[in-house]
This record gives sequence, C-alpha cells and structure tokens, in this order.
Amino acid sequence: MTKKLLLVIFALALVAAACDSSSDDTTTTAAAEETTTTAATAEETTTTAATAEETTTTAAAAEAAVCPSESGGGTVIIGTTDAIASLDPADAYSTRDWEILRNFGEPLLKWVPGSGDELVEGIAEGMPTPSEDGLTWTITLREGLTFGDGTPLTADIAAAQLTRLLTISETGPNQVGLTLGNPYVDSIEAVDDVTLQFNLPAPIAFFPQLLASAAYIPANPATYPEGELNIFPDAPLTGPGPWIVTEIVPDETVTLEPNPNYYGDAPGVDKIIVRQFADPQSMALAVQSGEIDVAWRILGAELAVELADVDGLNSVVVPAGPIRYLIINHVLEPTNDPNVRKAIASVIDRDELSDVIFGGAVDPLFSQVPPGFLGANEAFDELYASPDLDEARAYLEAAGYSEDNKLQLPVWYPPEHYGATTADGVLLVVQQLEATGMIEVDVQAQEWGTYIGAVVGGEEYPVSVLGWFFDFPDPENYLQPFIENGGIGTMVTSKEGDISPGVDPALLELLTASRAETDTAARAEILDELQNVYAEEVVTVPLWIEPEYIVYRDGICGDASLPNPESLNIGPTMEFVYSVLGTDGS
Amino acid sequence: MHPLLLIFLIFGIPALIGLVYVYSRGSSGLRTYMTTRIALTIPMILILATVVFFVMRILPGDPIDSTLGPKGTAEIKERFAEQHGLNDPIFVQYGRFVGNVFTLDFGNSLIQSQRPIVDELGERLPATLEMIIPATLLALGLGIFLGTRAGIRRKSASDYGSRIFSVMIYAMPIFWLGLLFQLIFGVWLGWTPIAGRIDPQIPLERTTNLLIVDSIITLNWAALRSVLAHLILPTLTLGLVLSGVFLRLTRINVIETNQEEYVAAARARGISQGTITRRYALQNAMIPVITLIGLQVAILLAGAVLTETVFAWPGMGRYLIQRILSRDFTAVQSVIVFFALFVAVISLAVDILYSLLDPRVRY
Amino acid sequence: MPDPVLTELPEEEEWQVDLGQVGLFRRVLNGRKWYGVDWWMVVISSAMVVFFIVIAFFPGLLATYDPLEQVGPRFLPPGETPDAEVLVLRPDSPFESLEDLAGLGRVPTAVVQGAPSSEDVRSEADRISDELDEAGSDDQVGLRIVRVETIEDMIAAVQTGEVELGVGSSAELEPLLADNPEVIIAGPITGEKGGKSFPLGTNQIGQDVLSRLAWGARVALTIGFTASLFSLFIGVPLGLLAGYTGGKFDRGLTLIMDSLYAFPGLILAIAIAAVLGPSIVNVIVAIAVLYIPTYYRIVRGQTLSTKQGLHVEAARSIGATKTSIMRSYIFPLVIPSVAIIFSVNIADAILTGAALSFLGLGLPPTTPDWGIDLARGQEFIQRAWWLITFPGIAVMLVVLAFTMLGEGLMEIFNPKLRKQ
Repeated sequence: MTKKLLLVIFALALVAAACDSSSDDTTTTAAAEETTTTAATAEETTTTAATAEETTTTAAAAEAAVCPSESGGGTVIIGTTDAIASLDPADAYSTRDWEILRNFGEPLLKWVPGSGDELVEGIAEGMPTPSEDGLTWTITLREGLTFGDGTPLTADIAAAQLTRLLTISETGPNQVGLTLGNPYVDSIEAVDDVTLQFNLPAPIAFFPQLLASAAYIPANPATYPEGELNIFPDAPLTGPGPWIVTEIVPDETVTLEPNPNYYGDAPGVDKIIVRQFADPQSMALAVQSGEIDVAWRILGAELAVELADVDGLNSVVVPAGPIRYLIINHVLEPTNDPNVRKAIASVIDRDELSDVIFGGAVDPLFSQVPPGFLGANEAFDELYASPDLDEARAYLEAAGYSEDNKLQLPVWYPPEHYGATTADGVLLVVQQLEATGMIEVDVQAQEWGTYIGAVVGGEEYPVSVLGWFFDFPDPENYLQPFIENGGIGTMVTSKEGDISPGVDPALLELLTASRAETDTAARAEILDELQNVYAEEVVTVPLWIEPEYIVYRDGICGDASLPNPESLNIGPTMEFVYSVLGTDGS
Repeated sequence: MHPLLLIFLIFGIPALIGLVYVYSRGSSGLRTYMTTRIALTIPMILILATVVFFVMRILPGDPIDSTLGPKGTAEIKERFAEQHGLNDPIFVQYGRFVGNVFTLDFGNSLIQSQRPIVDELGERLPATLEMIIPATLLALGLGIFLGTRAGIRRKSASDYGSRIFSVMIYAMPIFWLGLLFQLIFGVWLGWTPIAGRIDPQIPLERTTNLLIVDSIITLNWAALRSVLAHLILPTLTLGLVLSGVFLRLTRINVIETNQEEYVAAARARGISQGTITRRYALQNAMIPVITLIGLQVAILLAGAVLTETVFAWPGMGRYLIQRILSRDFTAVQSVIVFFALFVAVISLAVDILYSLLDPRVRY
Repeated sequence: MPDPVLTELPEEEEWQVDLGQVGLFRRVLNGRKWYGVDWWMVVISSAMVVFFIVIAFFPGLLATYDPLEQVGPRFLPPGETPDAEVLVLRPDSPFESLEDLAGLGRVPTAVVQGAPSSEDVRSEADRISDELDEAGSDDQVGLRIVRVETIEDMIAAVQTGEVELGVGSSAELEPLLADNPEVIIAGPITGEKGGKSFPLGTNQIGQDVLSRLAWGARVALTIGFTASLFSLFIGVPLGLLAGYTGGKFDRGLTLIMDSLYAFPGLILAIAIAAVLGPSIVNVIVAIAVLYIPTYYRIVRGQTLSTKQGLHVEAARSIGATKTSIMRSYIFPLVIPSVAIIFSVNIADAILTGAALSFLGLGLPPTTPDWGIDLARGQEFIQRAWWLITFPGIAVMLVVLAFTMLGEGLMEIFNPKLRKQ
C-alpha cells in the first residue's frame, strides 16, 4: 500500500517535471525561433573572438548579438561560480563583489563598457583636476544626485561615505582600503555642496583609474553607517547606480531591478538575476538547457570551447584576464642565488604550458605587466629566450651544481584555489626543470589558507605559484605589489620597505618614479626600464595570461553603441555592467 | 520565525507526545529501557563532540589567513583571534564548546560576514531535509518491495536480479551516478532541470525554507511544480543508491523469517502465501530493518554530502565541504555536532520504536 | 562421520553439525554441488579480485606508458589515431620542410588553437635541433608560435605573409586545398606525440587513460587493503578483549565504538583527511579509523555468544589463560565473519577513498587515482565521455568484486540461509 503511494508520488513528480520543463523552455524556444540568422552564421559568431583591436565581424554575425534599438525587456539570468564575500564598498575586494557593487552603485568615474581604457564621468560632473603639486585632486558631483531610495547624495554625504574606505576598512575581512585607499589617499573632504577634494600623500599619475574602482563608490548611509562595516546587508540595496538589489538569497541568487531615481538612461531589461553555481559544469549545463541566459565567471576555457559548438549559444573570448606566475623568494636558499633564479627563468616553456594544459587557450606571458598596458614589454623573452636548456645548465653550473650535485628545489602550490589546472601546470614545470638533469624538485601542495599565509610571510617557500588580477587597470598594480613591502613573498624588499641585500635598488627607484610621472611617454620609458630590471632580478616568473569566457544564449545582446557588443561590452575590468544588456523580445 | 525552530516544532512535538504516551502506558521494563537509552545518548554526543573538537583544533591553516590572504596585517589577525576566543587555552575553549553544544549555541562563522551559524544552518537544513526525506522514502519503498520479492522467490531470476542490482548500485560511486543522470536526463533528454532547488524566475516567499511546504502555504502552484521537478534527480540518485542497502537487508530478513516455524505452521493451515507474507513474515522481518534504518542515517548523510555537491544543492553537506576548505572551524564543528545530534536522536527514536515492536529487547 | 558428498541433505541440525566438521577447503571445492549459483559468484569474484591484485602489483601488465607523462594529444578518443600533421606553405616559399628552417631564428608559425599541431611541430623542431647539435652544427630550428582561431584563419595568415608557415591536420586541410590554390602543403611531420592510438584514449593533458587506470588500481587497492588491515588489527583484538572481559571496560569501549559507528563515516574521513593533509598515508589513516567499530562489534558479539560455550568452560577449568582461550578457542570461530567483513570493507574503503579524492581532499592531485580522474573528468563530461566512464567502471568493478566475494562467502558460511 505504501509502495503504491510512493509510485504515485513519483509519477506525479515526473509529470510535474514534464510540465515545468516545458514552461522553462518558452523563453529559449521563442529566442530560437526569432533569431534571423541561419544556423551556419550563428555558429560563425560563436568562434569570433572579440578583442579590443578586432572590429571586423560579419554583418550577419553582428545581427545575432546586437539588439534592435528598442530592447525587448524581460529578465536576464546570469550564472556565476563565485561566491559573494562582502557587499560593503569599504571592504569588498573581489571581482564578484565589485560587479554587484558597480551595478547598484556607481563610482565618480567609470569605464566605458567594452573599451580598453576609456574613462568617463560616473556620478561626477567632469573629470577630476589635480592641483599644481599633484597632492590635491578636485572633482564635482552631478546636480540632483540621489540614492535609489531617494536620499540625496550631496558632497558631504559622499565625502563621509568615501572616507569609510580610509578609516574602517581595516576592521573587515577583506580590507580593500589598505591597498586601494590609505596608500594613495590621505583624506577626502567636501568643499561645497557638490565638490569633493582628495588629499594625497604623494602625486600619482593613475588617480583617475583609481577613482573608477568599486572601492570608491559612496554607499547609502541608510544601509552602510559611517562608523561600521555592513558586509552582508539585507536587501533592498540602493545606491547611485542604475539598479537596485531587490533580493538576496545567500549562496543562491541576487536579484536586481532598475533604479527609478537613476540620473541616466534606464536599462534595457526589467530584471537581472545573478545565480550562483557550485561548479562551472553545472553552470555550463544550465546555460545549455536554458535555465540561465548568460554563463560568466568562471567558466573556463574547456567549457567555453565545448559550448561554442552548441546551437543557440554564443561563446566569446574576453582577453586580458588574470595572470599566473611563480613567486621567487630572494632571501631563502637556494633562490637567493641570482644564477639559480636565472636558471629557472631559462627553463620555462610557456608554449608547452599553454598547449598541454589549456589547448593553447592562454597566451604566454613574458612580463609581469600584460600586453596592452602602458609601457608593457616582453623582458623575459628578450633576456632568457626560454626554453633554453643549455643556458639553464650554464647558470646552474655557475651556481655550483652539476649532474652529480643536483639543485634541490622545493616548489609549493595550492591545489584547489585556482582550479585543477594548477596541479597540471606544476607537474609540467617540474618536468621542465628536471629536464636539465641538474635539478631535483620537491613538490609540495598546501591548502590555500596556510599557503597564502606562508607565501606572504616570505620565510618558507623558495618557489610558489600565484595568480593576480588587477585592482585597477594600470601597470602600477602589476608591479608595486610584487616589489614593495615584501612583495607578496618575493622579498626583494623587506616588510618595512627596504631593498633586500643583493637586489638592485633601481627596482624601488624606478617604481617610485613611474608612479608620479604624469607625462605618458616618459612614464612608458620608465616602466620599460623597470620591467627590464625586474626580469634581470627575476622578481617573479610570469607564466601566462588567461582570458575570461562568456557564453550567452541567442536573444541576449549587448549595446551596439559601445565597443564590443558581441562580448556583451565586457571590459576593461572583469565586472559585468548589467545595463548594457538587452533582449530581442524573448 | 526561525526555520530551525519551526522544523524542530514540526518534528519534535508529535515525537514528544508519542514519547510521553508510550512512557505512561508502557510496562516498567519498557520504561527502564527508555530511560537508559535516553540517558546513553548524552555520552554518545559528548564523545562525538570531543572527537570533532580536537580534530578541528589540530587542523593546519587557520581561517584568518584563508580569508584575509596576503592582505591581512598582524593587528587584524590579533583582533580577529581575540574576538573569537581563539587565544584562550585549549581546555577553556573545550569547556566553552561543550557548554555551547548542550545549549545549542553554535556561535558565529569565522569567515566572510561572520553570521551566526544558527542562521546559516537554518537556511540549509531544510534544503537537506527536503532532499533526504523523499530519497529515504524512495529507498525504503523500492528496497523493501524488491527485497521482499527476492526473499520470497529465492533462487529465482528476480532474486538474483535484485541481488545483482543491489550490489551494483552499491558499488557505483554515488557522484558518478548523479553526473550520469544530470547528463542523460538533464541535458540529452531535457526532461528535468539539472541543479538548484527551484527555477529562479519563480518568486516564492520562504518561511520554513522547506520549499514544498512554503509553496503549498502560499498556494503558489508554479513554484510547487518547479520544486518537485528540481527534486527528481537528487532524490533519484540518493534514493537508488540507498535502496540497494534496504533491498539486501529486507531480503535476508524475509528469508530468515520465512524459515521460522510459525510460517511453516501458517502454510500448513492453508493460509495463502500472500497473506503469510503480509501479516506474518513482513511484520517480523521489518523489525530488524527498522533498527537498521537508524544506522543508515549515517550513510544517508554521507550520501547527501556527495549528492549536494553534484547537484549544487544548497544544503548542509555542501556547506560542510565549503567550510572545511576555508578552515571555518566554528562552522565545521557546528555542522558535525549537528549531524551527531541528528544521528543520535534518530537512533534513539528507532531504538525506542524497536523496543515497542519487539518485547524481547528491554533491559 | 558420514561422507557429506554421498548423503542426501539431512535435517537442519545434523547438517549444521556435519558442516562444522568439514574442512574449509573441502567445503569450497564441493561447493559447486552444494551452493549452485552462489558458488559461481564466489569463484568469479575471486578471479576478479585476483586480477586486480595482480594489476596492482604489476601495473606494467596493462600500462604501456608512464601515467604522468603526456604521451599523446589531448582528448584523443579511445582507439583513434591522431591525424597526420602537415605544413602549409606559400608556393614560392624557400623552404620545403622543417629542416630548411635551421639557423633562421624564430620563424613565425601559425597553428590552430586547441589542435595538437603546436606541440607536434615544436617537438619536431626540437628533434631536428638535437640532431643538428649532435652533428656539430650551431644552427637550430626555432619557431615563434602564433595561435589562430580556425583553419581558414591559418591559411589566410600564411597567404598574407603574416607567418612563414602553418601547421594543421592533413584530414582537415586536404578538402580546403581546392579552394585555396595560393598555398601548398608539405610534410607530413610526426611529433613525438603523434601517430599512436590509445585503447582508452587520453585525458586533458595527454596522459594515457589505460595506464592511469592500471596505476590507479595500485593506489585504490593499497588504500583498501591497508586501511582494512589497520582496522582489523585494532578492531578484532579490542572486540575479543571487550567481549571476553566484559565489565566496565566493555561497556565504556562499546559506547565509544557505537558512537563512532553511528556517525557518517565519510564526514569523519573528510575531517580527518582535511586535518592531516593530502597524502596517501593520511587517507589510509582516515579510512581505517572508520571501520574499527565494524570489526569490534561483530567480533565482540561472537565472543559474547561463544564464551558461554562448553568448550570454553572446559578450558577455563583446566587453567588456560585468558589469552590462550581467546586465541585458541574463540578467535578461530570469528575468522569466517572477519573474512567476510574484510572483503566488504575493502570495497567500502575503496569507495570512500574515491569519494575523498573526488572531493579533492585526499591525495596529491597528480597521483594517478580513479577518484581524481573522475573529478577532473567531470569538467569535460560532454567533450570526452571516456574520461569519467572508464575510471567509474573500474571503481565499480573492483568494489563489485570484493562485495560479491564477501556476499558469496556469507551465503556459504551461514548455513541458516541455505534452506529452500
């Protein structure tokens, strides 16, 4: 009797599933019918990469990804695998958090979505102007700004809220203020109702780029009190941006709807739901089945390539993502010997790493500053032309090692933090090092918490693997963290900031000079020299730069008036601007 | 009202009433048994809690480093440790921990937003329950049904078939089965959704966070359909794997019971096989099976952890894994203690039930 | 004593007594007549167990390659041979083969992203450079790899002179030649990873799946056996002691064991493995701890029931020590049960081990292990179905073998179930 009941329930559930999945499908089948391109051209669009330089796309391809002038509205569901760590601009320090913050809030300056480096005004009126000595920057707010709930956003409030970054950030778990706030800004004050003044301890050339980061979003004092962080606030969240966060289900979804009090244009869709997945595979399956419309970070190269072949999906590569590199400790043995460091740099076969682990999907990186940034060069390639086993052996012999007296080299890595490819990468690097016949590698895995503490501590790991993505898009943010104050484990300087013995002091000198130099051409030259010294010292060994991938269903489109609509106008930061989205009526 | 409290009331009040009823109406033997059994639960929980505490304390890597990464300064770490009492001597911490266990005070998470763990558990326990209850029902239903048939028709095709099925299903890694189902039913056939609890487009007001209950309460039929659809694959995965265990147990017990003399006697009196099975054999065969349900809770929870990982189910299993990886030991301790409490309570209930059904067991 | 082979099946009690006096070996051999299908089950599963044990000791029997080496192109389906790679050149190009590139510095070369062409051409170039080195020449063949999206892009790049040559698969290029008369193909070239097929395919970095499976057997069985042995050597003596001694020691220990037994094993294993860190020894320890209560309970139960027996009474009366009683009288009786549990335990241990590696909490990630392969294969489930299928089948077969062995033995040793 019980059995029969169970069978009935089971059958009911199946029937329910059949009903439900058909209602799920309505959005996607409608989209499939409405696309005007044939299957062939739809597949063409999936393999077109969108780089800042490439503008040649076929007209048909452009049609598939670009909206009609009036967006169809509706709801767009975006998938992600990142978890939210913090939603207070004075604390949050990850791309996922910044993405949400940037959509319901807006900083003083913002990037043109899809561009490489175009800055425009955000909630500011006009660009900021520096004083003569560069120690003060002034900027004006737009008239009549309000938060989403109607509270006026005056300069007083903005100053008070922005100051949170400088004062209370250190009380939080992520402490973005300690990196993006205090080192660069001393204080912020309101000069009058609409004018803000930033007081700097030293002039910096990249101040406008800094202002465009999500840390410099004035947060609504109703949700974020002046003296205290509110890391996990309850919805609704309102800011000066185009959206309002209307619902947060922890670890599941974040829902956003248009902000009626936004000063600018209304977005093209009625609702955005950002849905969190445990892993990229579930997310890939979800975008295929239509449960979500857009699969964003972190999809990964493999899945993006697979999904490119699926009808109804568009798979796009967004270049300039995170970089991967080896941290070389300059104080511990054996890597305190410059010959050992140069041997390591000579052995790395970046093409093999890219081909074997990623199928060529990542680009070898020859300088800590990725291509496309001001002054970026390929110092490691010019200096070492790796892989060059003979060179490596020469360096090793100069350091006193031989086939009978092998270099014992400990290499550490975090197995889970960057994904499973890290282990593969380390396996290959070990094989490359041992191919010299003069190195014996001792590979050690360590879980992330202990690992990062040990790396930063600089006292345990001669060679370790790390990743990086910029906080603000400027070469400063690719060089300074690895040079100053212990350099996240490179120990080219001490924690207190003094240059370590045996290390070229030009590293610090050039860095400080490049920071303040406002003339672009001159700055590029300084940066070029700095990277050369960097490579000579082998501060780190840059390995590769990964692209990001975005996969979206037909029927979703970007803003045609902005650069790169086929990649949904993503860039230069990896924070998706939801306002560019539109649908074609499905 | 807090979801945890609600669940506790939903399950606890009837149980309490039943307990009091049994106690008052039972014989002295039964009463002694019940008292002893309940009293034994406490040391059991204590032992498990102690094991958990010490296991967590010797974990390498601390949550402070894990969360702050390269950006934490010494003062922040100091302040953090102070806040969470991590600087006290180990026995003080242990004492505090034990006290908290018995007052069910789970403390705050050590990472991210440092929310009270009770809140985080309250969101996730209903999710886990909503999956394991149907799975258990499926496992029981399928396992008992097939096991009975196999037991009655020994050495027939269906007997061997069922045994092979049960062993094979047990041998398959549950996560593999889940993945295959996702691929076959979710993607290739498109019959069911593949992850999550509900279609995010459908708004649903959550009070208990048991989505079936919530959708019924709010008369939200679209939500109900969606929730049921999302439940299919995880339930199927977990339920099928567990059914193998119940199948084997039922089969053996039915065989043994069938060999008992009273069954032979019944058959001699001309009672049909069907009646024999239902009224005599099954009832007595079920008794050991019921006890074993209690033991299977452990397997159930383990299976739930893996199933939740595969289907991105926001339940306690997935929470546990995530927090282990981020070294949030307060949360991990709490979840494990919670599991221990759960297991202890269920096995207590089962033992008492067993003692009601089998009068031979009373001490 | 009547010869068991010749008599008909007598009533229950007599039969059981007779059975108890027949030697184990005799029982097994004659089992075919007595037990029917169950006997076959035990025999087949024993054969499977032996097979896996042999592979575990000698993975080389199945594994042709080093499981850590990238011996083939990525994602090669089982049994397929990779296409030959050819060079794409302009008709007026001064070179005809890679050898002609010697001494010209780093020559820009186009390859299609994701294809094995890049590795093949570079390994060819390396090989040629090594030959030149040995011949005493200073010249090397150097390539500057330029990655493009599609074959058409590569042909275009060669035509426009952006690169000097391209490399692609001959199967894909042949059909395109007709439409592109401005390029010719030369070659083929065979990199060190080309030209071979693999029976079970290759994985995401080009390792041979079959070799990884064979070496994975070693890891899985090592974990299974060692963890079970560990549990056995701790659980059985404790069970004997507690069962025989009784009293507070017994009650206390039983309470602890019951608590552990009731607790979800996988979760405890996860916690312990996370504590101890990623290494095979730690995984073994974590799993071993889980199964001690199982042995303890069964052995204790049997000890409790046999210690009242007449023969034990007799032994005690002649002054035998506790240890010798346990050793000579009680222990032999528990052997069959322990053997059954051992077999099933190994199966369970292997499953738990696979679950731990799948969750990423067990072994160092480069170990050739079935659980790790399953976890990695999950990422590529749609593109390379063979990556999860074969390790999954392997786990299933091994676990099946040990479980069936235990089950079959249980049917044979437990005569109560033999009627009907």
